[in-house]
Amino acid sequence: MSYDDVEIEDMEWNEELKAFTYPCPCGDLFQITKEDLKIGEEIARCPSCSLYITVIYNMEDFTNQKSKTNIEPAKQQPVAVA
Amino acid sequence: MEANERVKDTEEEKEEQVWSWGAGTEGQLGTGKLQDEHLPQLLPILPSLSLLSCGGAHVIALTPDKKVLTWGRGTSGQLGHGNLVNSLEPKIIDALNEFNITHVSAGWNHSGFVSECGQLFTCGDGQFGQLGHGDYKSQSYPVKVSFFSSKHVDQIACGMRHSLVLLKDYGDQIYGFGYGKRGQLGISNKVKSINLPQSVTGLKEININSIIANGDHSAALSENGDLYTWGRGFGSKADVSSPNLVISPFSFTQAALGWNHALILTDEGEIVMLGGRHHGVLNSLQKDNSVKQDSNEAHVEKIHGLDGIKVVGIASGSEHSVLTTENGVVMTWGWGEHGQLGLGKTCDEISPQVVTFGQHQDMTSKVYCGSGFTFVVRTLNHGMEL
Repeated sequence: MSYDDVEIEDMEWNEELKAFTYPCPCGDLFQITKEDLKIGEEIARCPSCSLYITVIYNMEDFTNQKSKTNIEPAKQQPVAVA
Repeated sequence: MEANERVKDTEEEKEEQVWSWGAGTEGQLGTGKLQDEHLPQLLPILPSLSLLSCGGAHVIALTPDKKVLTWGRGTSGQLGHGNLVNSLEPKIIDALNEFNITHVSAGWNHSGFVSECGQLFTCGDGQFGQLGHGDYKSQSYPVKVSFFSSKHVDQIACGMRHSLVLLKDYGDQIYGFGYGKRGQLGISNKVKSINLPQSVTGLKEININSIIANGDHSAALSENGDLYTWGRGFGSKADVSSPNLVISPFSFTQAALGWNHALILTDEGEIVMLGGRHHGVLNSLQKDNSVKQDSNEAHVEKIHGLDGIKVVGIASGSEHSVLTTENGVVMTWGWGEHGQLGLGKTCDEISPQVVTFGQHQDMTSKVYCGSGFTFVVRTLNHGMEL
């Protein structure tokens, strides 16, 4: 089972890891790449432990070619991609 | 008077041991290694400590002469040494040397320090405004929070992405800043984040003794033993954006927050827990047997398996819990994947288990938790207490 559901706007972009991250209770970071998001992946994993979270986001925000800017959806409702 | 205290302290040379275990890949255990430890490790070189605070993967320690040591993850500047690197060994924060520091707190990736004369300093990750400087910048040296320049700060509590401040004077006693989406700032309207301190509402008439923050939770313990919580809801409860009294027949003396649970110590030495539905069953979440709760009040649950043992101290990691008894015995339970329970294995425990240290029996223990690790300071019980 997923440890938590986290909206993409609450994740941080980590330039070094080239991934969106969110704190994992073990001290490491849950991580998911833009490529993962583009293909509809919704699970962000922690490289140090067995836990993972479900990322809530709009897939269209990442499938548009010019997706690299402004990931934060201003007011639009995030939708879970099942 | 202070000078006397200091002398006494060194003269007495009370035998003190610092032990650590759990997640250690950022150097947070202070062992000089970058690895997890499943059993308590005795740290050889630490000076006497008066207070410890453990964060996501870093540790802040206060010495009896009011100087500050930090170690562990430093990639956001949270160690306060002016760089962005991890430190495997405890290092003095030189930038704070001219101050006498009396209170400290380690958050996920940020740090707070309170000086004797009531000034607050923060450093580390500031992306969510959690440093309180009116911007979203990170700092690698402790920077004075000017908002509190004319006030007397007593305590700081750092959570995952937010901070709480307790002032010495009654009135608008508690302030919050940083990330606030789950209501953890206690400023009634849920803002995404604020970068300047704002007064927490609804506690004006109440004298607060201590504040606690971890994950997206916040709490305050009053002089007369009442606990107020706000922020992310416990268990299946909704988030609360202003302080909410925990209704219970007990009077509370201590509280510790995890990311999904709270431990509370009663004046009779018993522990109750809020939330914790996943506590100790994280590795087998499939078993998820969520308890249906109708009432809107937080569900207070007594910890079983203690059989009248008197608890004197509690600490909480993100998903594990630690207690110490009047006899200095240390017990742990909850999530164990990184060895944070110190039981020599990595499985979860749903009830408190005794941690073994070997030799000395007659010791007093103080317990502290970071996200996935644990620290215990043990003092030999001979001679007089200061």
